[in-house]
Amino acid sequence: MTVVVPPDQLLLAADLAAPEFRRGEIEGKWRHIETAWPHATIAVSAAKRPHAPDEYGFQFECGGYRHTPATAQPWDFAARQALPAPHWPAGRSIVPSVFRPEWKCGQCLYLPCDRMSIEGHGDWIHKHPNRLWQPQRGIICYLEQLYDLLNQDDYSGIRGA
Amino acid sequence: MSKTIIFIQAEGKPGVTEAEITISATVRDLHEAFKTHDIDFDKEFEAFVDEADSPVQHDGRATVEGLKHGSRVHVTRCKKIKVTVHYMHRTVDRAFAPGTRLRTVKQWAVHELKLNPTDAGEHVLQLCNSTVQPPTDAALAELVDGRSCDVCFDFVPEKRIEG
Repeated sequence: MTVVVPPDQLLLAADLAAPEFRRGEIEGKWRHIETAWPHATIAVSAAKRPHAPDEYGFQFECGGYRHTPATAQPWDFAARQALPAPHWPAGRSIVPSVFRPEWKCGQCLYLPCDRMSIEGHGDWIHKHPNRLWQPQRGIICYLEQLYDLLNQDDYSGIRGA
Repeated sequence: MSKTIIFIQAEGKPGVTEAEITISATVRDLHEAFKTHDIDFDKEFEAFVDEADSPVQHDGRATVEGLKHGSRVHVTRCKKIKVTVHYMHRTVDRAFAPGTRLRTVKQWAVHELKLNPTDAGEHVLQLCNSTVQPPTDAALAELVDGRSCDVCFDFVPEKRIEG
């Protein structure tokens, strides 16, 4: 029996094997943990901060990829469950505006490139054009933003520290 | 001698090219890798390894200095890239190696403009006359087309996501 793999799943697999993603893995920016379609779990490295991990897991839901944006939530990949709010990344200004556990019960990040968060935020297209989902780049454009957020001076560690 | 992976970013060729090369590689090995992946490399072009100031030399027998697993090799006509940064009423400029990452450019701009750490953390480099804020890991060579070796940035406050 032939198993037909849906095109969105094939596209994601291709992007996770593409040079841009692999370069990020070799440079230690992120690493692919697993794909259990339609979810992909990826860890993103973070700058060193007291009592904080050196990477955060994210579970991406990628149905309709890449035409449809992905949505991501912080993920405890060892426990295979959503990351508890006290362990979410914290910061002074930009970081806490993105990592908001109270937003949609912590199911997504408050980023214009996130499928769940862009709904109802039509003004973000003009306010944050640099943070929108880019269908031609796919998950890389989301990962680049996460990496920059977790490696900028604004990032201070975990909320509960 | 073992094989390793490098990533080539070439002017006029979109995206990143992954190539396998022997370590330690000679200049001839590197040129062969360009040819294998259809990357133009005539006399106008230079190759830079990561953020190196000097280009790879042209003697085919020489060893390519600094090449390691995961290195970025930039193929460009720009020997240097002139960066201009505008911040409020001030402007600073300097020439950088093509492989210089934006993170390094930002550190230089913060120092030159004497920004305090809080202000520095809340500002980002945005390409002039655009809304494009390239990732801090992007290299300057990715932002030029070879016809011009200049990059202009505005140093702008990073917007909180609100609404």
